[in-house]
Amino acid sequence: MFVVFALITLLGAGAMILQKNVITAGLCMVLCFFGVAGLFLLLANPVAAALQLIVYSGAIMVLVLFVIMLLNSHEEEPAAQSRPYQRWGGVALCAVLGVGALRLVMKSPAAAALGAKAGPAPAMTLEKVGRELFSAHLLAFEAVGLLLLAAMIAAVALTKKEP
Amino acid sequence: MDGLMSGNLQGYLAVGLLLFVAGLATVLVRRTLLMQFMGIELMLNAANVVLLAFARTHGNDVRGTVFYLFIIGVAACEAAVGLALVIAFHRHRQTTDADRADLLKQ
Repeated sequence: MFVVFALITLLGAGAMILQKNVITAGLCMVLCFFGVAGLFLLLANPVAAALQLIVYSGAIMVLVLFVIMLLNSHEEEPAAQSRPYQRWGGVALCAVLGVGALRLVMKSPAAAALGAKAGPAPAMTLEKVGRELFSAHLLAFEAVGLLLLAAMIAAVALTKKEP
Repeated sequence: MDGLMSGNLQGYLAVGLLLFVAGLATVLVRRTLLMQFMGIELMLNAANVVLLAFARTHGNDVRGTVFYLFIIGVAACEAAVGLALVIAFHRHRQTTDADRADLLKQ
């Protein structure tokens, strides 16, 4: 099961990069988010999986697709200047970072020991999350509420037509 | 390798890592602002995968999920403001190409 969801996630992400059409890329990204939600289920965390589906595959993707259709920018525009060095430099940088960090993770004895030590874990429930959230992290919760309000006002102010 | 396929900690770390690299490559290689925005979302998701995988090794620590909740909240704010910026940019320059946002360079 892990391999299936990991493949869905990574293939969705890979298809997103290579896709020319922005809308199709957005749909590939939804596929990737579904894979991530499956991974959360396998981690015995159905709360996070449900949140992932509601917030990412639902809300954020609808917002992105609306903006794509609003701006009518389905295709990538032709480049103003071709910058081959930047392009291939970026690809090389990503490849080096990916391969190097993968080797580090795979060879790390600490990560292997941590993974081997973990026993069976109880599934996450909404009740546990709520109790922790509203006792130890109440202030941060209120701050996030304020941040969301600020972001909402900022979005309205930024998109308002200037008089 | 056997444990990797059945999903041990290192398997999740590898998935998170590859997801992050995919997001970074999207931001670096693609020029459309909307694609770059999607790359940022991918990177945030990679962080979430790794966070919850580590929480799982600590007996499914509830603080991991609480922190994940906060990351989602901040990501939603980022989505709203980021897309508003893209719309404002499109209104001024009639393009969504990041390379054409070069007014300060001239």
